[in-house]
Amino acid sequence: MADITPDRLDGSSAGAPDDNADAIASHNRKNRLGLGFWIPLAWLAVVVAAAVFADFLGLFPADEIDWMHINEGPNDAHILGTDHLGRDMLSRIIYGARVSLTVGFAAPLIGVGLGLVLGILAGYYKGWIDEVIGIAIDTWLAIPGLVILLLFSVVFGGSLGMVCLSLGLLFIPTAARITRAATLNHSNREFVLAARAMGASDFRILTVEVLPNIIWPLIAFVLIDIPIAIVIEGALSFLGLSVKAPTPSWGGVIAEGREHLEGSPHISLIPTAVMFMTVLSFNLVGDAIRKRLADVRDGAI
Amino acid sequence: MSEPLLTVEDQRTAFATGRGLVRAVDGVSFTLERGRTLGVVGESGSGKSVLSRSIMRLLPPNARSSGAVRLGGRDLTAMSEKALRALRGPEISIVFQDPMTSLNPVMTIGAQIGEVLTRHLGMSRKAAKARSVELLASVGLPQPDVRVDQHPHQLSGGMRQRVAIAIAIACEPALLIADEPTTALDVTVQAEILDLLARQQAERNMAMILITHDMGVVAGRCDDVAVMYAGRIVEQASTEDLFRDTRMPYTSALLASIPRLDDPPHRKLEAIPGRPPDLIHPPAGCAFSPRCRYADDLCRAQPPALEEAGRGHRFACWRPMAMEAAE
Repeated sequence: MADITPDRLDGSSAGAPDDNADAIASHNRKNRLGLGFWIPLAWLAVVVAAAVFADFLGLFPADEIDWMHINEGPNDAHILGTDHLGRDMLSRIIYGARVSLTVGFAAPLIGVGLGLVLGILAGYYKGWIDEVIGIAIDTWLAIPGLVILLLFSVVFGGSLGMVCLSLGLLFIPTAARITRAATLNHSNREFVLAARAMGASDFRILTVEVLPNIIWPLIAFVLIDIPIAIVIEGALSFLGLSVKAPTPSWGGVIAEGREHLEGSPHISLIPTAVMFMTVLSFNLVGDAIRKRLADVRDGAI
Repeated sequence: MSEPLLTVEDQRTAFATGRGLVRAVDGVSFTLERGRTLGVVGESGSGKSVLSRSIMRLLPPNARSSGAVRLGGRDLTAMSEKALRALRGPEISIVFQDPMTSLNPVMTIGAQIGEVLTRHLGMSRKAAKARSVELLASVGLPQPDVRVDQHPHQLSGGMRQRVAIAIAIACEPALLIADEPTTALDVTVQAEILDLLARQQAERNMAMILITHDMGVVAGRCDDVAVMYAGRIVEQASTEDLFRDTRMPYTSALLASIPRLDDPPHRKLEAIPGRPPDLIHPPAGCAFSPRCRYADDLCRAQPPALEEAGRGHRFACWRPMAMEAAE
């Protein structure tokens, strides 16, 4: 009696252990994260580490002008060459990564954070709160994003914080709608009523009962938005609407190289390639993580 | 005599819908003493669940409620939402029908019980977890120390309902409402859950309202039974009286629709003809009159009042059945 009970209650059956091991092994093989995940992740790790520890890498200062060595291709002193003012390309790209990555992470987090608050309130309280938030979001959507970005750039100047905020604001409507739909779906579930029946306050229900149930689609949404934010920031920099020179940013460096494309194409092409690989890596890693999240949610892992 | 634990007086709950006002609970009054069990029986849509939500004051925003609900001398209908929150759990709590949906899928069992303990009893997280294990053991969940860290999807339906019961009794409520607690479960575990509820009730001297559509569930487990039809109590008596001395034809029809072990084989099961009435436009007279085989003009013209007929037996009927007719 006593020796079989724990076994059976564990859910581990005594029969056919080999079959089980095979099934688990085959399931794990199918769900393994392959090179399509690890290589992009390694690239991102290198980019992030370089951006974080840029000051300790012994690089040339990103804004040190050297008239003796302008438009040089890659060489021993400057691994990625120099630009039209003789500044070290590697240094400018690494310091530029700081801008791109900051915007890439901060803007989606700001947007999803604010959208989450609006969406969860609209979905939980419904009624007039839902309507007011709905109208506000529709109004916000009716203003073209580029106009909002231009306005912020003109009014507040090109500080990094303002670029993050203005870009983040553009992510609010979608994040709010995703949150609202998921909240509507979950706030009618019986466990929410059960929590109320046990004396839980609205705040507790929203944070403890509803939020953990709706957080996965929002995390997936953040993962999608990171590369989008990086690309938009690149475009803004290219147009001169992001951080002001001489602070390097990828889009800005690409723009500076535009005039020397014939003689020194590396000035534009190297940051373009770095940005391309970074955005692609974020997309690949994001896809793999989202697939994982879906599996976890479905109880497959 | 001291005041009963729960007094419901002329409770009316209606919902504003696009088609009109749905009178889900239409003038229900009853009392319940400490430690007693009241069975509330009725078909789907008879207002049983809305009655339980009305007592808990857990009604959706489009509900219109009137009447008085007094628990331990306090009028719940006059209380603020905040005061009600403090009451839900330690004074009154509920077990829902479907344990698949009444537990939060992303929280561990222990977190869901512990939440109630920390909120109402001010326990530390550590103490709450230890108490959760004890509670899980007391509701007969095997391996409570392992289960406490598991999520609902790792448990069977019967186990989940045990967890839901553990949450409901965690703060030793004076009144426990069990809203069809076995309807969503396998027949084999239904009796276990009902026995568990009865045992917890006796141990903790709780009053219990057992809501069900199954006459077989109330028999032998409830002190009193109230039969609901179209939002009203149509007959209420001690369980023994109700079964032996059925007066209302609807109660009798419900009893007749239960298959009996001593019936001859292949006997046709008695069903109640027709459907429950539309609660937006209820019949002018007795709500059951369109389906009642004894109904006459008076029944169809004027609703009967719920009247006391001795020994706490109440029924609402113009043509009550004699004792012989119930046989």
